[in-house]
Amino acid sequence: MTDIPTTDVHIDVNAIEKNLSELWRGQKDGDDAVTRAALWNVVAHTSTSDLHASANETLGRASATVPQRTIVIRSNPADEAELTSWISANCHMIGGGKQVCSEEINIVAGGDRIHRVPPVVNALLIPDMPVAFWWLGDLPNEHESYVELLLESADKLIVDSVHFDSPADLALVARIGEQTSTSPADLNWGRLEEWRVATASIFDPPEMRKRLGSIRRVRVIAGSSNHEFFGESIESLLYASWLSAQVGHNVDASGAVEGAAGSIDYAFERRHQSTDVGGIALVEISFEDGTCAGITRDRDRGVLVANVDGSVTVQSVTRSLNQRLDELIVRQLKRSEGDRVLRRVLPIALKLAKRVA
Amino acid sequence: MSVVAPAIDANPLREGLEQERVPDASCLVIFGASGDLTQRKLIPALYSLAHDGLLPAGQTIIGYARPDYTDDAFRMAMREACDKFARVRPVDEAVWENFAKGLFYVRGEFGEHEGILRLKEKLEECDRTRGTGGRRIYYLAVPPNFFETIAQLLGKEKMVSDPEQDGPFTRVIIEKPFGHDLASAKELNRVAVTTFRERQVFRIDHYLGKETVQNLLVLRFANGIFEPFWNRQYIDHVQVTVAESIGVEKRGPYFETAGISRDIIQNHMLQLVSLIGMEPPVAFEADAVRDEKVKVLRALREFPRGREAEAAVRGQYTDGSVLGEKAIAYRKEVNVDPNSNVDTYAALKIFIDNWRWADVPFYIRAGKRLPKRVTDISIHFRPAPYPLFNKLTNVTMQPNVLAIRIQPDEGISLKFDSKVPGPTVRTAPVTMEFRYATSFGAEPPEAYERLLLETMLGDSTLFARRDEVETAWAWLDPLLNAWAADPIGPELYPAGTWGPEAADKLIERDGRKWRRP
Repeated sequence: MTDIPTTDVHIDVNAIEKNLSELWRGQKDGDDAVTRAALWNVVAHTSTSDLHASANETLGRASATVPQRTIVIRSNPADEAELTSWISANCHMIGGGKQVCSEEINIVAGGDRIHRVPPVVNALLIPDMPVAFWWLGDLPNEHESYVELLLESADKLIVDSVHFDSPADLALVARIGEQTSTSPADLNWGRLEEWRVATASIFDPPEMRKRLGSIRRVRVIAGSSNHEFFGESIESLLYASWLSAQVGHNVDASGAVEGAAGSIDYAFERRHQSTDVGGIALVEISFEDGTCAGITRDRDRGVLVANVDGSVTVQSVTRSLNQRLDELIVRQLKRSEGDRVLRRVLPIALKLAKRVA
Repeated sequence: MSVVAPAIDANPLREGLEQERVPDASCLVIFGASGDLTQRKLIPALYSLAHDGLLPAGQTIIGYARPDYTDDAFRMAMREACDKFARVRPVDEAVWENFAKGLFYVRGEFGEHEGILRLKEKLEECDRTRGTGGRRIYYLAVPPNFFETIAQLLGKEKMVSDPEQDGPFTRVIIEKPFGHDLASAKELNRVAVTTFRERQVFRIDHYLGKETVQNLLVLRFANGIFEPFWNRQYIDHVQVTVAESIGVEKRGPYFETAGISRDIIQNHMLQLVSLIGMEPPVAFEADAVRDEKVKVLRALREFPRGREAEAAVRGQYTDGSVLGEKAIAYRKEVNVDPNSNVDTYAALKIFIDNWRWADVPFYIRAGKRLPKRVTDISIHFRPAPYPLFNKLTNVTMQPNVLAIRIQPDEGISLKFDSKVPGPTVRTAPVTMEFRYATSFGAEPPEAYERLLLETMLGDSTLFARRDEVETAWAWLDPLLNAWAADPIGPELYPAGTWGPEAADKLIERDGRKWRRP
């Protein structure tokens, strides 16, 4: 079908672009043509070979939905001083026997050679195409300048806050959102989307919308391991912060919340479990009149079910979204603009973090 | 510390979600619920909306038809329909279970007063149990001759609210054909507005629900580079092709009264022409967009009286083969008159007489049993003003063509000349391609999904307005009358070809050729 090499071709770092052109030379137009496509530059930053392999696999799958020039970096100052690279193509059938391919570049740097990574990456970005920077693992908030240097050309910074070990990581992401032109994106925020949809569906009927102003208590239960790791609380934190931001609650520096009808009790609870650690398991929203709305996950049926007390009880069912890593990345790449709601939520999450950290 | 209570007119929790607007729960009544359209399109589309989380909790669908179904039997039949025709398959059990709870059935004839009373009772019950708050959408998936009877009964039983008053909405969806000619279209519209106000009437032309058709507006008005060239100074001509490889299948009786000109040209094709030709609207709002579209229809040059056929060709397929399979002649199809003179192909050369398009021909063609199924618009630009290169190479420069593929393999391509590498200056045409499947991966929603959702949201931008329909008929009627009076009938073309020879001559006598789509 195609002569495009999908296996790794090791090359000199200085000749990456030239070798990429060689990949495509000789491809003909016509019905059997291979289409070279890219909508994004996606740069993944890793520090270990396991994370490197995970990034390769995830972005290879994601490129089937969002074609992209993928650049995967493995950079670790503790490793042996070296700078190596290789290229390959990610090819996918799109129906009608047609094949779409996009390029993948891998760069491994160790020792003092890691300083060459930012300029090499910058030179490899396709012009006039947005840049998403995916940081795998915990953010090195103690090396903020290193992160900022790498992010200079990034339109979007993708993190996964489930790996954050302290509120300082959250603060760094919030600061990047506030002080730079890079939009923050969080895969954990993506995991929350089904809970946001289910909650929104409760308040879609006009008569329920009025009750947003009478919320008195919000209880969020999340799965946790035995380690009390900060990242395990972030999904609950983001949920509570989102509700608070969108309804117009006021959160003070100590994390106390006040609404139109007085103070609101936000309760974060943990349930020890071996799977879905960090994920929300149950939400309860109580109103001034003593009634309650609840959302639970029905794992067998793959849905979230929302129930509301009241005169008309209509169950709302939200299909669980695919939470595979590549699906979460794709959801981020499908939105070229920054997430204004997340920007609003992050500072509130920082305040509420005092109650769970 | 003062905290402002949130406004209740919009759900603030929807901000930033995939679907920022979700309609208020309503009762959608489908008249003709036992028919093909309900099973193949409407219910599968509604289920797909539910699957994607786009329907409100409590959304209720009531089927109304003659057969004696129970609610459960209706649900079972609709489940089978979704298993076969829904965009998202296999059907998700949990989503279906919840969706099916909102499916009900009322038996009745279209003109039966008792049946409408049973429907009224069911609607009121749903308001109590499902929170639909008196909001109604009536989908008339029935032949046009039933419109008046149904509308009168709904009006008589006070099942239609007045949009001028505060309160729950009532909307009505009408399927094409919107009449058979100008007189019948006017009559249908008169019937509609005796019970409903024009802004309650949603006339479905499913072409407008297609992503690629909507993208015509985005291509033209969201990009700065196209609009400066989108006029007679730079465009030589425009071609629009709506080709189907299938024949009339089971639609013989309908097609015998309609022909391709009424089935495709009067509605889908003229919608495409008006979207290509319209001026920028002042806002992306229903009336602003439709005002501009109707101006294009009003500017269509009348056919020359007594010489209507000079600007148009009609054809009818005869025996042949399509995609390697034998295809029988139209006159041998089931329920078709063996001497029928109905057109299964039509090609027209039309002009939009305004400043933007003066003397730019639009060649439009539609046909059945053509070599493949394709809908395609191509904008052919004027050649470069001075032939700098072809003196050296003796190669004719190709005009630039912007091709917009509506279906299938949706996308846009731009053809231009490029230098062939080498010491001599040789040029060759190359194309820049955008394909939806390549860039966006996901399959676009079905047209009916979008149109049903827009009706629930009350946005009529993607629906035909009364004056659009009537203006289109007023323009086309003289040609249809001339054809009806012409004893010679349509020119025959073998199934599997691109239509009659006269269609090629229609464009070739202007020194142009049909583009192979």
